[in-house]
Amino acid sequence: MFSNKKLLGAAALTMTLSAALMTGCGGGDKAPSGKGGPEGKVMVYTSMYPDIIDSMCKPDVKKALPELDVTWFQGGTEKIKTKIAGEIKADKIGADVLMVADPSYYIYLKQKGLLLDYKSKNMDHVVTGSDKDGAWSPVRINNMIIAYNADKVSKDEIPTSWEDLTDPKYKGKIAMPNPMLSGTAYVAVGALADKLGWDYFKRLKDNGLRVEEGNSAIQNKLLTGEYKAAIILEENILKLQETKHEPLKVCYPKEGCILINSPIGIMKATKNPTGAKALVDWWLSPAGQKAVTAGWMHSVRDDVEPPHGAPALKTLLPNAIKVDWDKLAKDESEIKEKFRTIVME
Amino acid sequence: MKKSLPRLDSKFIVIAISVLLLLYFIVFPLLVLIYDSLFVDGVLDISNYKDVYGKAVNWRALTNTVELSLIVMVASVVVTFPMAWLVGRTDLPGKKKFRTILVASYMIPPYVGAIAWVQLLNPSVGYLNDVFKFIFGLSAAPFNIYTMGGLAWVLTLFYSPFAFITISRAMEKMDPTLEEAARVSGASPLKTLIDVTLPLMMPSIVAGGLLVFIAAGSCFGIPAIVGMPGNIEVMTTRIVTFVYMGDAKGIRDATALAVSLMVLANALLFFMSWMLSHKDYTTISGKSTRPNMVELGKWKWPAVGLVGGYAFIAVVLPLASIVMTSFLVSMSKGITLSNFGFDAWIPVITSSQYMESIWRSVVYGVVAACIGTVLALFIAYLSVKTKISGRNLPDLLVVLGGSTPSIVIALALIITFSGNYGLNLYSTMWILVVSYLVKYMTMSVRTIAASLSQVHISLEEAALNSGASWLRTCKDIIIPLIAPSIVAGWFLIFMPSFYELTMSNLLYGADTKTIGVLLYELQTYADTQNASVLSVIILLIVLVGNLILSKATKGKVSI
Repeated sequence: MFSNKKLLGAAALTMTLSAALMTGCGGGDKAPSGKGGPEGKVMVYTSMYPDIIDSMCKPDVKKALPELDVTWFQGGTEKIKTKIAGEIKADKIGADVLMVADPSYYIYLKQKGLLLDYKSKNMDHVVTGSDKDGAWSPVRINNMIIAYNADKVSKDEIPTSWEDLTDPKYKGKIAMPNPMLSGTAYVAVGALADKLGWDYFKRLKDNGLRVEEGNSAIQNKLLTGEYKAAIILEENILKLQETKHEPLKVCYPKEGCILINSPIGIMKATKNPTGAKALVDWWLSPAGQKAVTAGWMHSVRDDVEPPHGAPALKTLLPNAIKVDWDKLAKDESEIKEKFRTIVME
Repeated sequence: MKKSLPRLDSKFIVIAISVLLLLYFIVFPLLVLIYDSLFVDGVLDISNYKDVYGKAVNWRALTNTVELSLIVMVASVVVTFPMAWLVGRTDLPGKKKFRTILVASYMIPPYVGAIAWVQLLNPSVGYLNDVFKFIFGLSAAPFNIYTMGGLAWVLTLFYSPFAFITISRAMEKMDPTLEEAARVSGASPLKTLIDVTLPLMMPSIVAGGLLVFIAAGSCFGIPAIVGMPGNIEVMTTRIVTFVYMGDAKGIRDATALAVSLMVLANALLFFMSWMLSHKDYTTISGKSTRPNMVELGKWKWPAVGLVGGYAFIAVVLPLASIVMTSFLVSMSKGITLSNFGFDAWIPVITSSQYMESIWRSVVYGVVAACIGTVLALFIAYLSVKTKISGRNLPDLLVVLGGSTPSIVIALALIITFSGNYGLNLYSTMWILVVSYLVKYMTMSVRTIAASLSQVHISLEEAALNSGASWLRTCKDIIIPLIAPSIVAGWFLIFMPSFYELTMSNLLYGADTKTIGVLLYELQTYADTQNASVLSVIILLIVLVGNLILSKATKGKVSI
């Protein structure tokens, strides 16, 4: 009765274990050999929208760099930061190219010596600032603005400035995304605190400011009329205007917009620097920048049209609120904590 | 003697492997996490604990979590006990349907339900608030969802099925003779309920309540959506805040909080099981009895109203709200016929990224459920059917995993399985599958153990005496006898794994994005209406699964 079935169950279990072991190792990158453009594997961590990656980036990159095997890991900026923090801890950085919204994060990574210096040949038409050593280059502009629902507010309730949000006519009907969970909201907090003082947030709080988990929750509640005006990314509003013909409108505040010069960078740990550099070049080329504007963000180049429904970047740039990126990189936990104690308690 | 040796062997090997797997995938990562929170490069350093507990907000998050979980636990038991009694022990009309509806909120992803309730009860334009304002001529909204009360309300509605499933199962198995004795001696149904049924049910009430307590305390989605606009912080939102700092210190602060949350949950769990171990609950007989149903008489229709009303509020309202949102053309226009259409559905159904994620989640859920059910079967067998010392250890380890907050499990798995300690599962589907197993095997083990305890040992002995090996006995005798509970156990792992959010969110890789992750992203960054569409698709899949389950087991099992 030593039937071979006796190991049936044991086999099932060991199978799962060995299957788990098999999938253990990641992809080994080949050294590029330079025949017919760069080749090998490149892993991109990006917070670009998944539909844009699928519909534009993947086919375009395949065409421009046919030999390059590009994998796209898509997630929110904070999730990617978390992932990389885990990878740094395990000393196993998976990304070759990093493209997230928050510029101060690149300052942090540069200080840690994790970024590869590279100055792309496509920089001549780029009009926004870049790192002097080439640790990162700008690749897209996110724009924090005020939005409102034209169908739900009366004429005299249309906001025109950041200060307007402290007006009692908006009491309890204003919101912004949580800077603890959203990198662009964090930049907005730092910029507005510098420009208008922390007192501005005290007054917002007194006016019933609500803090939401993310931009999407806010856009939704603007639509339903739960909020009259809210601090949010321009791209969310432009997208709704264009694709769903929703009556949401952008207010470009008198004191200036908060332009977030979102970077792209190459991780020093990359095993395929040639491929990574080629991909950065693609992003900074007109073709790559069209993918940016298709995602309703502004291009960093002066020869690419702004996203549908938005004014040209050069009309926004002069008046934009100056952001102290070094301070945002250095004092992240203090700034977040200050915001939390003022607004969220 | 020669024949019994290999039998013992195969049983022993299988069980030993189960225990080793549990130790490696549940206990080891949690120990690594604890170690990591206390030591930096091998040197004791608890500055992270000092930092996090030096801030009032983290203390408040802790007290909020405990307070909320307690409220939700008590409310869930108070609400579901009468429901479970009505459905399990009385002649309530349509009780089978009610049963299905009452556990249906187990199938709605909690974060989806939270969004629905925000739509219904937000203070400025909530649908229900508007209705109440209209009916009673109020000038201000009567309810504000962004409060502790609102948060407790939503958590209770979504986690009470844990209590309902546990309590109603015990109700159906309860030895009816004591109740009958009370009735014969002239006690009213109500008095019988309070003096006889309630004390008998105490262990399962506590067990169900505990499941609710832990689920509510370790939930992230609902507090993020409902609590945040009201400035209510709980442990999970604080942990995510620290994790999202994206640097080494943030992760260390997060692990300090995570370890605290884990200790809190498990301390409570072991305290409760210790308390229960002093109680005698043999009155719940293992034999399958067909207890006489209590006749409700004139209370029949009020009872239907009560259960129906609850089902309407807990399940139908939020579901209707989600389905409706998915069909709205414009969110800013009212609910009119011209504003309904398939506009939000088309991009979802035609997009490869959505369909790929759905398929992936089905696959991961199936893999997790298959592995989990096999393990659960062995663990249940070990604790119910053997006399080996330490037979309850695997069961205990599974409970340990289930009672550990999702976010803690995710952190522990990242730290442990990214290659520092041998196995590297990072960014593969296996880290997701492992996380689902760690979190969701408890209910499956419980279900299988309950039904295994009803299979009399004599059947098994007969097979063994006729010369069948132990594994053959399992296959030919035990498994067919408890098949319905195995199928149920399978679904109890599959369903929550299928739409899991919190752990997947931290563990997915470039090619392993699941439907829960996608849904969360749509919800936070992109399009809420597409999120509603996706939720409706999830619900359809889960409902169809439940239907298949119910058909396959000839109505004996549905979740």
